[in-house]
Amino acid sequence: MHPLGVSGNLATPLGIESLHAHGRAGMSDREAFEREALPHLNSVYRFALSLTGNEAVAEDLTQDTYLNALKAWRQYELGTNCRAWLFTICRNLRSRQAVRDQREEPTDAADLESLASAALHAGLSESSPQRGFLDAPELGDVVRAELQKLPEEYREVIVLSDLEDQSYATIVAILGVPIGTVKSRLFRGRRLLQEALIEYARDAGLVARTGGPR
Amino acid sequence: MIDCHGVMKQLWEYLDGELPLAESDQIRDHLAMCARCYPQYRHQLAFLALVSRAAAATAPRREFVRRLEAVLASAKDDPT
Repeated sequence: MHPLGVSGNLATPLGIESLHAHGRAGMSDREAFEREALPHLNSVYRFALSLTGNEAVAEDLTQDTYLNALKAWRQYELGTNCRAWLFTICRNLRSRQAVRDQREEPTDAADLESLASAALHAGLSESSPQRGFLDAPELGDVVRAELQKLPEEYREVIVLSDLEDQSYATIVAILGVPIGTVKSRLFRGRRLLQEALIEYARDAGLVARTGGPR
Repeated sequence: MIDCHGVMKQLWEYLDGELPLAESDQIRDHLAMCARCYPQYRHQLAFLALVSRAAAATAPRREFVRRLEAVLASAKDDPT
């Protein structure tokens, strides 16, 4: 028997809908899955790419995530954060595949990172005659390239937070790490990215190369 | 009253909408009247917008999406 107990066409075996919490009038498991999970394909792929840094591997990971989500579909509670649920599956699969780097964790350095990030910009605004270099159109490519260069643990929180708008609490649940770690990774990752952007902007002449007051 | 240092320490959490209402209000009020902190806030806001914009431009290949849909369809149909 198929793990989901549903056939591939629209006909749903009698009684399936009433057997579990997913019973929504007129909607089979397949329809619910397609409606709730498939629209997040781009997000899952981007998250997978952030974890793997490689398109082909990210495609495989995305496919495995969806196959696993399909198998486990009844564990998902309709109407909750489906995207976060998919991210969690994706992250768990990746953890199983990859031996992750055991780096020294920055602990409780979140507020210091926040300060460091602000200091970066303080120096910059003094040295730069031009405001708003972050609006330069080519910076999109730079961000994508620099994001891929970041260590995976920084990249994944940046993607979850800044692209996918997931809350700290949701990221804690997805990654299974304390909130202090989420914050310090996120803020440090942002700072590293900002440093790279400023470096690029200086080289490209978007901001003044030397420091000091105008 | 919160000072500039305190605001800068919590700026990311403020921007991420993660602070309790009272603290968030204090920071918002400070930013509104502080010529030193406000540009920093604008800069970080622009940075977050840039990251979001840049990353959103990444999409899976069309062929992959088609393949995945086929795989999912057959996974459903395949009796195990």
